[in-house]
Amino acid sequence: MNSVGEACTDLKRDYDQCFNRWFADKFLKGDRSGDPCTETFREYQRCVQKAIREKDIPVDGVEFMGPNKDKPES
Amino acid sequence: MKIWASEHIFNHPWETVTKAAMQKYPNPMNPGVFGVDVLDRSVDTEGRLHSTRLLSTEWGLPAMAKSLIGVTRTCTYVQEHSVVDPREKSFELKSTNISFTNLVSVDEKLTYKPHPQDPEKTVLTQEALISVKGISLSSYLEGLMAKTISTNAGKGREAMEWVIRRLNTEIEELAATARGTLRAPMAAAVTDK
Repeated sequence: MNSVGEACTDLKRDYDQCFNRWFADKFLKGDRSGDPCTETFREYQRCVQKAIREKDIPVDGVEFMGPNKDKPES
Repeated sequence: MKIWASEHIFNHPWETVTKAAMQKYPNPMNPGVFGVDVLDRSVDTEGRLHSTRLLSTEWGLPAMAKSLIGVTRTCTYVQEHSVVDPREKSFELKSTNISFTNLVSVDEKLTYKPHPQDPEKTVLTQEALISVKGISLSSYLEGLMAKTISTNAGKGREAMEWVIRRLNTEIEELAATARGTLRAPMAAAVTDK
């Protein structure tokens, strides 16, 4: 699966592999020990946030399924 | 405004379905989703995993529809917030479009929980709230979108089965490799005697 930022796809794959392993082997089994993926996540995030800014994607502060919710127009 | 809801039962335990749902994309049934990014992730004080993700989708709009709504790009972004509670065994996802919000609002909520009578099964309840803004064809278009959501929900469930099969195959291949690497030295030890 690709990232929205083409340059971030490899970083994303590294993070995803780490996360999926931790999620299946630790988190779902009730193991509350620390998250081994913080470093890979940080690198991946730096790249993605940059791509989002560059592509002007209107992320952030969204509320779900509120009848009176006003989404920012885009 | 159009409300659509459905319920589906998977013949797999909740952990299997949750792992698959977390890795749902890419899959051949939802080719429109071309990018998934995690924007934020954390475990709260009650041990629940919160994730915020951005889904990038590309969908084939017929040319007429494109000229009607006056857009040339068909790339749509969806923001999703999910919570996995490993103790309560629930995985809830809420998503909303963040593109074309001046035209349409599509909110979806999915909840995966173990089947109350059978722990080897998982129940998925899915709801969508659709609202097309400001034009007179709105209820017709909302109906059309509800139909699309319903069709995509069917594809989504097929996609889940596909991901589950893929994950199980990977596990079997790993086990077979492990058995293969054990067998060779054992055979060598026997013939060496």
